[in-house]
Amino acid sequence: MTRARWKFLILGLLVVGVVWIGVNRVPGGGGEAANALPPAPAVGHPAPDFTVTTLAGEPFTLSELRGKPVVLNFWATWCPPCRAELPELQAAAQRYDGEIVIAGVNQAEAAGQVREFADAMGLGFVIPLDADAQVSRKYGARSLPTTFFIDREGVIRQIQIGPVTEATLAQLLRTIYP
Amino acid sequence: MPVIQIGPLALPVYPLALILGGWLGLEVSARAARRLGLDGDHIYNAAFAALIAGVVVGRLTHVIVYWSAYRSQPLEIIGLNTRAFLPVPALIAAIAAWCWYVYRHKLPWLIMLDALAPGLLVAVGIIDVGAFVAGRNLGAPSDLPWAVMQFEVSRHPAQLYEAAAAFGGAAFVWWIIAQARPSGVAALVALAWYGLSRWLLEPFHADSLTMLGGLRTAQVVGFVVALVALWLLARRARTSDAPGIEASAGEVHDT
Repeated sequence: MTRARWKFLILGLLVVGVVWIGVNRVPGGGGEAANALPPAPAVGHPAPDFTVTTLAGEPFTLSELRGKPVVLNFWATWCPPCRAELPELQAAAQRYDGEIVIAGVNQAEAAGQVREFADAMGLGFVIPLDADAQVSRKYGARSLPTTFFIDREGVIRQIQIGPVTEATLAQLLRTIYP
Repeated sequence: MPVIQIGPLALPVYPLALILGGWLGLEVSARAARRLGLDGDHIYNAAFAALIAGVVVGRLTHVIVYWSAYRSQPLEIIGLNTRAFLPVPALIAAIAAWCWYVYRHKLPWLIMLDALAPGLLVAVGIIDVGAFVAGRNLGAPSDLPWAVMQFEVSRHPAQLYEAAAAFGGAAFVWWIIAQARPSGVAALVALAWYGLSRWLLEPFHADSLTMLGGLRTAQVVGFVVALVALWLLARRARTSDAPGIEASAGEVHDT
């Protein structure tokens, strides 16, 4: 290709490129735009809302926690990696009491069994009971544990499949707090 | 998150796609290297050096940054948690190790980059397919006939658009390599192709990172990278046209 053709190609592309970038700007500047997306269990999307009953017998609605960062952990008593990470979540719940909501959604187990386990482990954070696994299906949480890190605006910022350690939990919390 | 269930073992799809993409990408690059007159083992060895350096530096920097957490659990320093890495230092260390390997074995830089080019595009394509199956990097809502339902919303299969672009790019770059062009051309074409594909296709994503009041970061960066690559290609074409340059490129191909 001649020098003139290269120049024409690059300049032409420059013009078309700037127009295409401008036309496809995200309205609202980006950050706020995440809330305009349909809810989905994916990073950058609003967390799907749900209402279930907690182990304490109270209603738990995710959207009512708007304004606070939320760690939404899916677990079960039969799952060894879940058992390994629950003490880390409990420690974080104590450390960030009132600032971050740690919610351990139990997947399809009887309330009595979960209560016995939670008492033995000394779990003090809220435990919503996903009795019919509807919430797990909504969040695509097929392998346990799976943890969603949701910011103050209700947008998912990180998803962790597999257990967290103290160090990785500290790293992941940075995406939603402070 | 989609998983492949083998008995009690649930293997998440996306990490599997990363591994498969890396492995097939290396194999394609090794074949390209042989085609360019290099020993394909150098591709694997350089990648192995990069992997080790990336893993070690990524974990060490994670330990330094989160030392307060590791102090009470020192065994976690050598733990198998795949999240416990800092990606940017890991990437820098991996690139440095790759460069060190090429320098130490006195390998031709541009030909090594040419050999890497089609393999990287194949890896990107496979990872994009994995992202589609795993429901990552979702497409924007769409009612086009080929839109797909993901998380109860009809969307552009944006990950598959990018996979198709990457595989098409790999085939084109392979063809360039087969044409025995001057060294460095295949790598620059791959860079321009990938940059242009991000510029063209990023708007079909639902959740782009943004900058400067809503500009899509990947689109802007891809466009700048493509322009720089094209400018370098233009310069390379001019120098290749100069007497004597073509011959030296041919000699390099024979090494």
